[in-house]
Order: sequence, then C-alpha cells, then structure tokens
Amino acid sequence: MTRRRWEVAGSGTAARLAGGMCLLALAWAGGARHATAAPATPATSAALPAAGARASSAAGSQAPAGSPATAGSQATPGPQAPAGSPAPAGPPAPSISLVAPGPAAVAAFQNGQRALAAGDLPAALDRMEAALAADPDNQRFASEYRHAVIRAGAYDRALDVFDKLVAARPGAAFAWLNYGYVYVDKMPAAGAITQVILANDALHKFTRSIELKATWIALYTRGNSYLYWPKIFGRGPLAVADLERAVAIARSEPKRAYHAHAYAHLGDAYWRTDQPERARATWEEGARLFPQDAGFKARLSRQGDDLEAYIADQLDRSKRVDTDLRELWEDK
Amino acid sequence: MRGGKVRKRAAAVQLALALLVAQSAPAQPPAAPVASVEAAHAAVVVGAGSAGQGAPRSTVSDVERRAGPGAPQSTVSDVEKQGKGSAGKIRFEEIGARARARLLHHTRRFRGAKADILEMFTSGGAAVAVGDYDNDGYDDLFVTDSDNGRTCHLLHNNGDLTFTEVTAAAGVGKGNDEHSIVSDALWFDFDNDGRLDLLVARFGTPILYHNEGNGKFRDVTAQSGLNKFGNTIAVIAFDYDNDGYLDLLFGNYFKPVDLFDLKDPHVLPNNLDQATNGGGVTLWHNQGNGTFVDVTEKAGLGSHTGWTLDAGHADFDNDGWQDIYLADDYGTDRLYLNNHDGTFREITAEAIGIDTKKGMNVDVADYDRDGWLDIYVTNITDEYMHECNMLWHNNGVDASGKLTFTDLSQETGTCSTLWGWGAKFGDFDNDGWVDLFAADGLRSAGDKNYIPVLLEMIITPNVDFADVNNWPAIGDMSWSGHQKKKLFRNLGGSAFKEIAAEAGVDNDLDGRGVALADFDNDGLLDIYETNANQPSLLYHNVTSDHGHWLELKLVGTRSNRDAIGARVTIRAGGALLIREVNGGNGYSSQSSTRVHVGLGAATRIDEIEVRWPSGQREKLPPGSLPVDHLYYVKEGAGVVTAAAAGFGRASTAGAPRRGGAP
Repeated sequence: MTRRRWEVAGSGTAARLAGGMCLLALAWAGGARHATAAPATPATSAALPAAGARASSAAGSQAPAGSPATAGSQATPGPQAPAGSPAPAGPPAPSISLVAPGPAAVAAFQNGQRALAAGDLPAALDRMEAALAADPDNQRFASEYRHAVIRAGAYDRALDVFDKLVAARPGAAFAWLNYGYVYVDKMPAAGAITQVILANDALHKFTRSIELKATWIALYTRGNSYLYWPKIFGRGPLAVADLERAVAIARSEPKRAYHAHAYAHLGDAYWRTDQPERARATWEEGARLFPQDAGFKARLSRQGDDLEAYIADQLDRSKRVDTDLRELWEDK
Repeated sequence: MRGGKVRKRAAAVQLALALLVAQSAPAQPPAAPVASVEAAHAAVVVGAGSAGQGAPRSTVSDVERRAGPGAPQSTVSDVEKQGKGSAGKIRFEEIGARARARLLHHTRRFRGAKADILEMFTSGGAAVAVGDYDNDGYDDLFVTDSDNGRTCHLLHNNGDLTFTEVTAAAGVGKGNDEHSIVSDALWFDFDNDGRLDLLVARFGTPILYHNEGNGKFRDVTAQSGLNKFGNTIAVIAFDYDNDGYLDLLFGNYFKPVDLFDLKDPHVLPNNLDQATNGGGVTLWHNQGNGTFVDVTEKAGLGSHTGWTLDAGHADFDNDGWQDIYLADDYGTDRLYLNNHDGTFREITAEAIGIDTKKGMNVDVADYDRDGWLDIYVTNITDEYMHECNMLWHNNGVDASGKLTFTDLSQETGTCSTLWGWGAKFGDFDNDGWVDLFAADGLRSAGDKNYIPVLLEMIITPNVDFADVNNWPAIGDMSWSGHQKKKLFRNLGGSAFKEIAAEAGVDNDLDGRGVALADFDNDGLLDIYETNANQPSLLYHNVTSDHGHWLELKLVGTRSNRDAIGARVTIRAGGALLIREVNGGNGYSSQSSTRVHVGLGAATRIDEIEVRWPSGQREKLPPGSLPVDHLYYVKEGAGVVTAAAAGFGRASTAGAPRRGGAP
C-alpha cells in the first residue's frame, strides 16, 4: 500500500515540523492515486455527479439492504470474532451519505474546487465551508475541504468549522468523523505531547461518529487509530475490537478494494497484541480476497523481526497520515 | 598496540557491574574495591599508549574524499562495505570502584504533597567537572551530589588510575542546603592566575571558589557579584567578547522561584511542547577584577524564557567569535550568533527552524571533518515519544552570509538514545573520526510505569500543566528507566554504528553527565558518567587497536589562560581536523580542556595552527611534534615544557609521570 502525503504549506520550518511524529495516526492507504496537490480536474458535472446521478451511483456502490452475501462472506472464514464484537445485526450503514447534496451545495463545492485548483486557498476554504454548511454529512465535501485545510495549514479554522457543524447537526455522523480527521491532519504540525492530546480528541470524535452510525469507515478509522498508540497505553485490544467489526461489515458488503485495509490492519492489530496465528490467518484471508494487494504478500512473506519491522514501518508515527477518503466514492 | 595489557574486559566489567548492582548505597568515601574485582584488574598495566599497529584503518585521505553536505548520506552498511573501519574494536573497562571514583548521587527530597514531582523535575543535578586543579598534569574530578546535607566531591587524580578524595581539605563540599540544590559544576580560571577555580551551580545562587594554590579553595562568591538567584541547571564559561577573561552563561530551568517555599503552584511548564515560562539564561561578564556583572539583557539574551537544560558555545560561523546554542526542554532550541560587540543575534528560525522537542544536551565537534563545527542535541526518543535527537550538520555560511544547519541524525544513525541526557563527541579509537557516547534513562524504580498515569493527566481537557498540583504522584513507578547507554562509532563522517554493548559501556543506570578525559595520559579518552540517585561510573579506555594521537594543553597569555575558545587546526595524512577548547559543553558535565586528536594511520603532522581567542594565529612547527605525545602550547611561545606552561610542578600528589615536550 502506498501512503499518500500532503505537504504542509509553508517554509522549511513547516516542512521540518511535518516530519515530526504522530502518537496517534490514521492510516488510509492511498493506492496508486495521484498525490499531493489540489485536484487538477476541472469541476464539472462529470467530476461531481449531479445530485440524482450521485445518489444513484453511490447507492449502486453500496450493498443494498438485504443484499446477498458478498465475496467477503463467501471466502474461507478468517479468524473468529471475539465475544463483544459481533457482526452487525442488520445491514451496515454505508460509509458515505446516500443523500444527494442540493444544487447550491454542489455549486459552492465546485467553486471551491476551482479556487483550490487556482491556488486561491482562502476562497477555496470559504466556498467549501459553504458547501459543508449546506451538507455537513457529505464525505466528499469534507475530505476535499480538509485537503485544502492541510495545504493552508488552517487546522484551527477547520476545527472551529466542524465544531459549529456538529453543533448545528449533532446527528451528522460523517461530520463527526471528519471533525476527528482534522485533529489527525493537524498532528504533523504539532509537538509530541500536543499530538497525544490531538490524538485523544480525534478518538472522541470518531467514537461519537460510531455511536451515531457504526459504519465501516468509522470503525476502521478508530480501530486503526488505536493501533497507532504505543503498546504501553494498552489500546491494542481496542484496535482489535474495532477492526474485527470493520472486517465483519466488509464481509457483509459487496467487496470493495478499500476493504483490504481493514483485513491488513486487523492482522497488524493481532500481531501487535501477540496473536501471530490470528494475524497470519487474517492476512491470508485478505490475500485471497484481494490478490492484487501487495500488502498481504509483503506481510506473509516475512517472519519475526523482519515482519515486526515491516509493520512498524506501516505504523510509523513520524509520517503524515493520509486521510483522503476518495476511495470511498471512486471504488466502483 | 597496547600489548602489555591483559584484556579481561568481559569478566572484569561483569564483575564490576555485579558489584555495582549489589553495592548498597555507599556513603563517602567511595566503597573499597572488592577483592575479586581487584583481582580481575590486577593484570591491567596502566602504561603509555603507542601507535596503532593492527589492521589498517581508514586513512584520513580516504575519507577526505567524502561527499559534500548536500550529497546523499551513506548508510552504515555502505560504509562497512567500503572497509572504512571495523566496528566493535573500541573497548572500555569500568573501574570506578577500583579507582575510588565511584560516587553515589542523591537527588533532592522535597516535603509536601507534591514532593515526588518536584524531586523528579530537579533530578538532573548529577554532574561532573574535569580539570587539573593542581596543575600536576593529570585531570582531576569534581562530582556533585544534590540532596540536603550531602557534600560534593573533589577527587584528586593520583596519576595511576586511582583517585583520592580531598574534598574536606579543599573546602569545596558545600552547596546543598534548605533552599539550594547543587546542579552543575565548572572549572575555569576566572582571574587568569594559572590555577583553575571552581564554580558550583545550583537551584539557588551559585558558589564561586578561588583556587588558592595549595590544595585549598576560598569562597569568593560574595565579592564576585554572582548574587542572582536562579534555578540553574547548566553553566559554561567562555570569553564572549574576547577580552581575555572568561565570562559565564547560566542555563536556568525553572523561572527564579524558591521551589522549597512555593507561593504559587504554577511553576511547571505551561506547555509541554512550547513552554514559555522557564528560566531562560543569564550571562555574566567577567570584568577582569574578580567581579562579574549581569549583562543578559544588554547582550540580547533576555527575551529567552525557555526551559534551558543545556548551553553550548563554539564558533559556528568561523569568524573567530564564540556563538551560543541553547537546548531547551519543552520547546524550541535557540541559536545565537556573536555580533562582535558584546551582543548576540538570534538566528534560530532561519538556521535550524523552530522545534517542539525536549532538548537535553549540546555538544560540538566537526564530525564529518568539513571544517565547520556541528552540534549534537539529545531529545526524547522512546516508545511513547519519538522525537529523534538532532545531529545538526553545519552547512557553513552561504554566499549571502547565511549560516544554516541540517539535522542528519536519522541519516547518520544517531537519532535514538531513548530518554537522552549528556552526550559527548570523542575519538575513542584515535582513528581520526570523532565518535559519540550518549547517556540516557530518567528514573529506574518499581515495575509500574508512570507513563500511562501521566497520560491521563495530559489528556484531561484544559488541564493546566504548570500547576504542580495537577501532576499525578510518581511514588515507586519507573519512568523511562533501565535504559542502555549508546556508543556510536563514527564510520567515516556520514554514518555511525551503535556499539555500546561490544565496547562494554551499555550500562542501564539513570545517566546524566558525561565527561571525557585522558585520565592516565595514555592517549585514549576515558569516560566518567554520572547517574541520578545511582553510582557514577568510570570507564577506562582499553582499546588496543587504535590510531595515533596528539594531545595539546593550550595556555593563553593574551587570551584567557584556559584558552577556552581557541581553535586548533591540524592537517595530517590528508585530513583536516579541527578542535575547539570548550568551557563545559554537554549536559551536566565538563570534559577536559585538553585538546585530544586521533590521527588514524598518520605518523606525522603536516600542519598545525592555533587560533587563539585573542585573534592571534600561531603556526607550530609540525616537525617538532612527533605523534603520540602530549604537548603544552603557550600563546605566543609555541610548544613549551610542562613547567614553562605552569604544569607539572610538585604537588601533594607528586609530579606527573608523563607530559611536557618530549
């Protein structure tokens, strides 16, 4: 898996700070997507489907209620889920909102994209914030807005924006989720102790999102966040629990490439909690389901210290973590 | 090759460490050596070092062809494949008990509900200062203690790798009282009378002792003007205005409040990454008449309010004037350049950037031999906080006159020393490349770890870190304890290899200060390590397969007598080697002011020049300086005999066995 890095705008000082550590971080594998700069694609109706088309497309990409078992659930059973982390009883909530944004929100977002492409960060932030105000639960609006925030280094502004959004729409699960991501995004610009505080704040927001809607993305996010905490803090079992739930959801949904991340990191969580057999079984299941994913092969081909070093590198807290959610709507 | 030495390192070190572990806290004088340990060392003959005659080492000319600062750095394995050095040949023996130099340090105990928090925050004062106070040609030791009623220790070097405690006779043991904690110490000749005086730094007011020349010292603090209260953790001496007298820079940790009588509990850092409520620094100008005056504001250092843990000085921009680097806990380090007019200008942002790390140590050397002095800063690089140390590679001054540094700690393999403390550059195998020894470890106590407990406080919303009442009790918990020390062998200027275990220095005590000196004048640098609440260690360098060497004791005449700030430039075997005499660089420790230079395979000096702080440049006739000897160099007079330099006089310990011009 390839991590995608967004550069922090600013001087050499900022670049140096960006090389700092994250006590907690969220790994979101970037795959082969283009990296860093603002989306160069002009905002057109094709780039941003019209409301109806988007809703239809999104719905199509998600497992409809009562859908038959997916490839995941047909695969050889992996590690047994421990007590307390059962597969969701009903159909899982999708990881993106199925509600189409209104035309005003779409227009504001497209204007924001244009401004971002033109390098006009203040205008991009203003317009994307307007889009989010109209549709706080829109994952794409939020993800691209945060992209602009990283470029501008405007983390405190974004925290304030999301604070207001969730105050106005406390039931907006994805707004809470992205609120948490802003804390993660801010970490490379912070000192080691401040990163602890940011990491903890992020966990609180992720938890609120899960309480509202236990989506695959939210469970994967929080579980992976726990995984980044040093062992001494005892978050490993919490990581296992969340990632087991994320994998359970993946098994119940139509297979998506991004589900591979949950299998990979659940295996990592088992490894980190001294359950090497479960780790290997999970990676083997992931390899069967996602044969093109090099991450599973990389893990399964290693042993002992070599494997530990590989996982440590995957969870390297000194690297900026990619919180881009594009895969959610680009993976068809 | 030191063929006369019987190398029983492994057994001896194990025995010594076993003794160390088993030893109940010894009060002064140091515990007598145990017979078995004595026996293990009995065959070790302390003799003169000779030139390395073993396997060919990397020559200075080989490594001179290295890439420039901007070039990609070689990895350790790359360097080893190139045959530049064979790691693991550096060897030390721990001889503290046998040498009667092992001393138990005691941190200050406080009273009240938050006593253990204050004890933790003041636990940095296990310090050592090396200096030849009686001018007999052997470096002596001053070792601090910190608890109330405990005395510091002056250890006279007998010249045979044993020491004699002379504290009481010298009158320098005091300093710990109801309102003061001894935290650091420094030898410096403040009145240029040819005898090292002693400054004892404290959480409190400092104590200045004048060396009376008869093995006794006199407290001259009152008349010196050094009367300002400060919670000082570091002190260095250098001549910032090149007037020929050594000035003093104090690094202060807390702001100046009486920690034993807190009027306000808000005394701890107000931010754990960017604290602004520390003690900053205090600069004292030596007026040349035995008095000092506070010039902090005038010099442009008054705006610094960080939690200074260490201060270092050197001529970073090669202009002949001493500059300052400050390592700050809980926030950014600071770098100041000398304006040549008694003031400094801060260049932190443009030269090194603003950081949020926990700076602990400042030591300086040209580790890659490019003619510019580099800086090593330790931070915290532990499981729960991975800051990485900083090896500031000096990029030099560019065409626009801008001095910059690049942190190459990760690239060179010197990033991690866990909870770092003192660290010193020194060429331990005389191969021509300075190596690096680093102490670490905060608090080794019970099995329970304080970090998860501390975490709960840190993540409490809106908690006020500055309020000592908000910090959870430590009790018997450990905090980054039991950490192995690190010895990084320089593999040719672009990479280091960690060899502490092979070298026999990987103890797991709670290290603080690291002082380097050639205590037995054999041409090899030894190590004295102080440990908080634990015994100190003396590592005798028994490396057998080492290179040639040269040691110089510089004596200023127009310049300050200790020649602090003097730069020696040597060309030998195609290599450029620079050394600067420093006055106490490195956390909680002062190394010898004697210049030590490893020469590798080079058997002759091609060129040697001393640039004195006065500005005088003095070329020494290289032909008169055969390698593998200690020389005395007097400003304006060149190489002189020890006696002519004021050393080697009869003393209570007898005349030196070696030293002086051959």
